[in-house]
Amino acid sequence: MTQAKSNGSGFGRREIEKALVASIRKLDPTYLLRTNIIMLIVEVTAVITGAMAIDPAAFHGLTTQPVWIYVALTVILLLTVWFATLAESISEVQGEARVDSLRRLEQDVQARKVVDGNIVVVPSKSLLPGDVVRLRPPEIVPRDGVVLEGTAYLDESLMTGESAPVVKKVGDSLIGGTTVTSDALVMRIVAESGRSYLDDMIKLVEGAQRPRSPNEISLNLLLIGLTGIFVLVVGTFLVLADSLGYIVDLAILLSFLVALMPTTVGGLLPAIGIAGITRVGRANVVAKSGKAVEAAGDVDTLILDKTGTITQGQRSVKRFVPLEGFTEADVAQAAFVASALDRTPEGRSVVEVATSLGQSLPLTPRILGGKAIEFSAETRLSGVELLSSFGSNPTRRPPLPTVAPEIAQGPVWKQLVEFEGSQKPERILKGAVDAVLPTASQVNKAELLWKSQEISKQGGTPLAVAVGPRIIGLIDLRDQLKPGIKGRLAAVQSTGIRTVMVTGDTEITARVIAAEAGISDVIAQAKPADKLTRVKQEQGLAHVVGVEGDGTNDAPALAKADVGIAMNSGTAAAREAANMIDLDSDPSKVTKVVETGKELLMTRGAITTFSVTNDVSKYFAIFPAMLPASAAAQKLNILQLHSPVTAILATMIFNAAVIPALIPLAFRGVKFRPEIPERTFIRNMLVYGLGGAVLPFIAIKGIDIVLTWVIH
Amino acid sequence: MLAWVADAELLALSLGLTLALAYYLGRYMVHLIRGTPRPFEGSIARIENFVFRLAGIDPKRSMNWKEYVVALILLDAVFAIFTFAVLGLQGWLPGDPRGFGPFSWDLNFNTTSSFITNTNLQHYAGDQSLTVTSELVLMLNQFVAPASAIAVGLAFLRPFIKKGAGLGNFYVDFVRSMFTILLPIAFVSAILLMAIGIPQTLNGTLTTGLIGGGSQTFVVGPVAGFDAIMELGQNGGGYYGSNLASPFANPNGLSELIFLVLMLVIPLAFIFAYGELVGRGRGRALMVAVLAPFLALLAYAVTTTSGPVGLETRFGGFGSVLFQFFSISSDTGATNAVLSGLSPRTGASLFTFMFVQAIPGGSGVGFMTLVIYAFLTLFMVGLMVGKTPEFLGMKISGWDVKLAVLTFVVHPLMILVPAAIAYSTGNVTAILGAHSGAAGFTQVFYEYTSASANNGSDYLGTLANTPFWNVSTGIVMLVGRYVPILLMMGIAGSFATKDRRDTPEPIKTDGWPFTVTLIGVTFVLTALAFLPFLILGIFG
Repeated sequence: MTQAKSNGSGFGRREIEKALVASIRKLDPTYLLRTNIIMLIVEVTAVITGAMAIDPAAFHGLTTQPVWIYVALTVILLLTVWFATLAESISEVQGEARVDSLRRLEQDVQARKVVDGNIVVVPSKSLLPGDVVRLRPPEIVPRDGVVLEGTAYLDESLMTGESAPVVKKVGDSLIGGTTVTSDALVMRIVAESGRSYLDDMIKLVEGAQRPRSPNEISLNLLLIGLTGIFVLVVGTFLVLADSLGYIVDLAILLSFLVALMPTTVGGLLPAIGIAGITRVGRANVVAKSGKAVEAAGDVDTLILDKTGTITQGQRSVKRFVPLEGFTEADVAQAAFVASALDRTPEGRSVVEVATSLGQSLPLTPRILGGKAIEFSAETRLSGVELLSSFGSNPTRRPPLPTVAPEIAQGPVWKQLVEFEGSQKPERILKGAVDAVLPTASQVNKAELLWKSQEISKQGGTPLAVAVGPRIIGLIDLRDQLKPGIKGRLAAVQSTGIRTVMVTGDTEITARVIAAEAGISDVIAQAKPADKLTRVKQEQGLAHVVGVEGDGTNDAPALAKADVGIAMNSGTAAAREAANMIDLDSDPSKVTKVVETGKELLMTRGAITTFSVTNDVSKYFAIFPAMLPASAAAQKLNILQLHSPVTAILATMIFNAAVIPALIPLAFRGVKFRPEIPERTFIRNMLVYGLGGAVLPFIAIKGIDIVLTWVIH
Repeated sequence: MLAWVADAELLALSLGLTLALAYYLGRYMVHLIRGTPRPFEGSIARIENFVFRLAGIDPKRSMNWKEYVVALILLDAVFAIFTFAVLGLQGWLPGDPRGFGPFSWDLNFNTTSSFITNTNLQHYAGDQSLTVTSELVLMLNQFVAPASAIAVGLAFLRPFIKKGAGLGNFYVDFVRSMFTILLPIAFVSAILLMAIGIPQTLNGTLTTGLIGGGSQTFVVGPVAGFDAIMELGQNGGGYYGSNLASPFANPNGLSELIFLVLMLVIPLAFIFAYGELVGRGRGRALMVAVLAPFLALLAYAVTTTSGPVGLETRFGGFGSVLFQFFSISSDTGATNAVLSGLSPRTGASLFTFMFVQAIPGGSGVGFMTLVIYAFLTLFMVGLMVGKTPEFLGMKISGWDVKLAVLTFVVHPLMILVPAAIAYSTGNVTAILGAHSGAAGFTQVFYEYTSASANNGSDYLGTLANTPFWNVSTGIVMLVGRYVPILLMMGIAGSFATKDRRDTPEPIKTDGWPFTVTLIGVTFVLTALAFLPFLILGIFG
């Protein structure tokens, strides 16, 4: 049970009892008839051998062994069925435990609800449609709703992929989970709290109602077909061998049938499916259907949003670009000063980078006493205003701080010193080029525009930096790749999956970032409908498409895609449309989901192959025991098993024991490796195919030796 | 030492020649599959269009898989009813100087089923019970049955070209298989065989006979012509009761070589056609999957000496075994030796060919079975790479798996259940006596295996001319022929509507891992199902 513990959800005494009770209940033949024909047949054989044990005389001519053999075979056959139902029950209990722990993870934020004109802070979960909530930066919109009062900028990058903040006015709809970045507003909640998808998952792990996924259906057909052929073979063998004068023991013949039937995979199939869903759940992703998890393994085209998935969605400084007459150090110094009072991520990044470049100019008294100009939707700039009222007598102002010797005292510092000696109001600004330009009088406009275009072309966002009337240079802001995303993309790409990046950025900017992340396919300047168009287009080429998203705009694409992963922070519409929901709202997790889907399919394939190749060695063990009078059959006894009795018992014990032995593999899954599928195939074929043919030889011989020692 | 060299030479020569001819035939088939212009398209099309107009066929009308199978069954039914009528009326019809009289209804049902299904299982001795008219009607079937099978094989390959390519028109495929594949090759081979010195009763009507229909050719050159189509069409029903062991039918090494080539050329041509359509690497993979087991079984068979009793001594032990291998592997069923003279290992190898039916199996149908094996193998092990298994970029659906599995259930069902019934109803004792033992079981088991595989070689022969055996093997032949065709064409119909992905295959169908796995899966499944019965019989 170490495996069960490792998922963190715990598998204590209560869970064990629950699984045991459920597994016994699942022995009900009517349940098996509905869910597992193979195990039903094994159960029927157990009933027949049981009858042979009770009344051997009724099976005249079909018994050759003492009664205890039939008792032993009955027990082993019943154990085989029980191991299978136990595997299923454990996986269900695990899944349920997982759902409970997922509930705790449901996103919850604090909201400032307006009650009778007063503000009450409440958890977002308690909000009802119609409630009114006040919002200011950096609060998160608690639920989908509409703006009642005010205008504000919101960061919807995680929802829409658009990295620039968007303005929201009265009457506009707000997306739950988006962040207010400037100004303030009042909203009314319209959406219900959406948590029904957790109930979906509960249904999924409760085997009986679980709809089988397409692959599972096909595999079941194959296994039932194989079973049918073996039933046919064994049935006619009984008649024909009897006609030729051989005495065949019915219990041994039925053991032969069970040994040939794909009981291993038949027994573990339900557990593998549920475990796959649970494993996805372990990554805090709720799968709404088993089909979705399976489809995730089949995904060969991933459509990814740039912001939040590939990039962090926070822009940081790449470099400082000086205008003619200034140096990079000058721009860094000016930017540092302009950002000194800025608390936005961009501002912090400027301070950090300027400091690391050694250009953290000491702040003069007038700056320290200045007024912060905060970024707003209208002005699109921020910085410091040096107030005219500050220390009205310039001669009595505090002395200038000393500049560290390693910092160049260039034009910026000189300008600041000049400001200290004056009374005039001055501004040190950084902001959008077209916003800063009108404030400056000393600038080569053509050069500024050209250099800002260059930055755009390389995938950056240019910010102009001005000290008083002079523009010093530009800040090149870049959206940073998420740490590790390149490796994760490379891993899924190595298996032949194509990745497409969707962004609102220009083609040039998009290409730069895509190239950095190792993505060749880009949809730039994407409109909301483009994602859906692309999904349809790819599906038209028989591709299996995975999409993540969270905005209402994404809902059609999420619904159309084979695998649609919605962020829990996303809109209700998106969550409704998707077939998976990521509770952590980490869009880059999509690669993890794909890997889990592949592991689910690989596990199914590996255990199927193992189960079928097992037959080869079981044949050699049991067939000679079934026809002791045939010299030809004895030639197959290459294992030199002690006696027919030990051979049959050893084979059947192996056949039953292999089910619980493989439960850990069924739950854990065959490990995904980033490599070409051909290599995966060859390795798994050697391990589970060839291994499956060889392992039982050793195991059966071993059990035979032990049995011989016990019996005699 | 010298004998080994000669044996190897015979093997290399026959296989090499077959492969070379099959390559060109395969390329020609690609034209038929795609509908692209063939060599001499203008002249051939004129004749064909005349035939189409005469028969009221619209060659442009493409059929779906159900229409195609219905057309096949209707056409075969027409010939079957005709054959049944002729055999049933033998004695009243002209040309029965020896007074054979009509076939009994059960023997008639068996014989008609046998010839229309390309099986040619014979529960009668041809020269002892058939009039010339009846022989001619049966010969007609020897063209109809393989032409039907080739047509189906061509249609089966069409969905591989592209989505929505359709399955084509059965009547067009049938006419083209008949007039541009079977007749010309049979004609040329017949001429060659005549030149070698196979006895003829030439009377100058040879050239006029060709245009009107197949049968007329063979009126003038009955033995050479009969032999040629018997091998080429994987019929196997001999002109002489002793089949090709007769020095008249098979006088020397050269005639033997021609027969060897004729038997395997069409089945192997299908694999070449597949390679031309979907990539030569893929064709090679399937070719290896056919030739490697073929050679392995041959090596296994010659580890023990067959004969000398019952062998064709003129060609020696190896020549006999090789002939059996070509004949049974292609489901021809012609023989040049007495089967009981072969060693158990040789016998087991021959059984294996009939169990698998795809090494390379009969014209068209054998190839289709091979593809279904490939398909099922990919499904079984394909999940291991972490993707829904696909074949040539087409996803394998539950429907496809269901049909494929049913295809494979048919064969053991049609072999084992009738055999069990034969034993439990006393019909084995009735013809073989009370204690026929393992040898008797081998004969019974071979009878149904051969019938279900539409092979036609048998141990029982005229012994089995009883109502039970005639009816049971008749049903087995019909089911063994049409049910798999129906199911496999259903899969083709499903392929025809499938989207194809341009992404790399998860398991490459042109690589050695695939080929090795395909061979492995095929043999493991075959052994699991049938080995117990070989142990009861041929190894017993």
